Amino acid sequence: MPKKISRIAIANRGEVAVRIIRACEELGIETVLLHSEVDIGTRAFRLADKTICIGPAATSESYLNIRANVNGALGGGAQAIHPGFGFLSENADFAEACEKAGLIFIGPSPKTTRILGDKVKCKELAKKLGLPLIPGYEGENQSLEVLVNEAEKIGFPLIVKAAAGGGGRGMKVLRSKAECRELIESAQREAQAAFGSSKVFLEKYLDHAKHIEFQIFGDATGRVIHLMDRECSVQRRHQKIIEESLSPSLTQDLRRQMGEAAIAIATQAGYKGAGTVEFLMQDGLFYLLEVNTRLQVEHSVTEMVMGVDLVKAQILTAQEEPVFTAQQMILPRGHSMECRIYAENSYLGGVPSTGILGKVEWPEGPGRRFEYGFEEGDEITPFYDSMIAKVIVWDENRIRTIQKMQRVLKDTVLFGVHTNIPYLLEILSHPEFVQGTMTTGFIGKYFSEPLKQPPLSIEEKEFAEQVLKTVADKAIESQSPSPWNSFWRGV
Amino acid sequence: MNTFQMIKGQLWIHFQGRTFIYDGTKKQFGKKAGRKDTAGVLFSPMPGKITKVLKALGDQVHPGEVVLVMEAMKMEYTLKADIAGTIEQVNCQVGDQVVLGKLLIKMKVEVKP
Repeated sequence: MPKKISRIAIANRGEVAVRIIRACEELGIETVLLHSEVDIGTRAFRLADKTICIGPAATSESYLNIRANVNGALGGGAQAIHPGFGFLSENADFAEACEKAGLIFIGPSPKTTRILGDKVKCKELAKKLGLPLIPGYEGENQSLEVLVNEAEKIGFPLIVKAAAGGGGRGMKVLRSKAECRELIESAQREAQAAFGSSKVFLEKYLDHAKHIEFQIFGDATGRVIHLMDRECSVQRRHQKIIEESLSPSLTQDLRRQMGEAAIAIATQAGYKGAGTVEFLMQDGLFYLLEVNTRLQVEHSVTEMVMGVDLVKAQILTAQEEPVFTAQQMILPRGHSMECRIYAENSYLGGVPSTGILGKVEWPEGPGRRFEYGFEEGDEITPFYDSMIAKVIVWDENRIRTIQKMQRVLKDTVLFGVHTNIPYLLEILSHPEFVQGTMTTGFIGKYFSEPLKQPPLSIEEKEFAEQVLKTVADKAIESQSPSPWNSFWRGV
Repeated sequence: MNTFQMIKGQLWIHFQGRTFIYDGTKKQFGKKAGRKDTAGVLFSPMPGKITKVLKALGDQVHPGEVVLVMEAMKMEYTLKADIAGTIEQVNCQVGDQVVLGKLLIKMKVEVKP
């Protein structure tokens, strides 16, 4: 039974808030932006039909505050809430609070989120379905004999990590049978000292794997399909930088197997809406990593190659309306890539850059898409994630896509804050990336040091000097300070 | 696509695919000294139309002499030589619509006796 939604509250910010507003506009749905105090001078704020301030800058008091979001949505007269990604999007308590308040939560049910969001429960479900998991040992028997035996069964290299710990502490890499006993004993001692428990887990170390994920979608009837794969191996400390679809590394057979695995686990969990099943793929074998029960940042590359609108699909599904009915007609075409633009200084190792945005120019054209939450005059504050925009391109094949992305990034103008564009350009021209053989170790291997800033060329210097002269002459003529400052904005 | 903007006293420049902040020399405003580091090249400071080209190949120029005039957004703009030398290359003609940053004139440092 279709339920008509006429107003949606957006519990998010930045470029995804704008993305959701666009989908709502196209469906004739009004928008209420639930925002923090420092997100008033932003594009989403200006585009939304209504805005409700739900708290101060600190995320715990605003974007992560369940009560404030629910009250804001109700106060704004919304029938549904879209949580975007990050923040409360995968919080089952939030989804439940929305439902209790009579609001439609645009996403999977709290029950589904609780099963797939819990690493242990998700693994159990995967095991039940016979899906491949990263080989490991998490047993209660912690005798050295058993641990060494299990290590040999798993194969080298492998990681031994403290069961009671996290954050990379107490983790050791074992590379051969010879060093097994000694390193496991050492890990147990360290675990005891650091976390009060000597219990350790063993896990195969996939040191040259690719991060491959499948976009899944469960419609209102309970049918789950997948919309092909994305590769996101270019990551810095688990933060994705460049994503693409389709992965250049999957054979037809692997693609089919992984797609079926993704559908299987989502179907079993009663998945509704957009989600992603993540895998690691190494040496022709794949292993389930985790399931993300939300729309992801990189959903855009899937939209480009599949010709779909995932956010509209989410909303229609929440209204119990059919989507993707002609599944056999949805076939991928061409290649798409996304670069996340971070406000950071590439020459200082990625130190965040904040400030008021100056001139911004997005070089529009065929096969180019820009998702951005800020415009000239808006302030990039230090309170949130430093991703300020996404640049997405589509072309007939991967090489052309890379070339187009290089062209687009070179023609993009973003003044006022430093960006990672120089860093992205270096990655895009690296032979391993161009060949498509990069793994999750790519950034660590080649880009762990800050970029070196090349000195100005003679042409650049000449142009800059000329510009300086222009500005100086103009200032003298008009008898006033530099006429090029222009930052007031009517809000 | 080449562009610039002064933001709080810092000059941001985007030129041929690269963005950088230019400090230049400390004394910029108020002093029109002939700078030795400018290699005698004139770029168009804005998109516009060339209305007058006052020098030809081989002509001598001295600092401050007007070399060409262009018009943009209903304003007239004079580009002057800031070195003593000869015109080595004239890369435009009257009536041309040019983009910002286009190389218009190249001068060779030369002091003829």
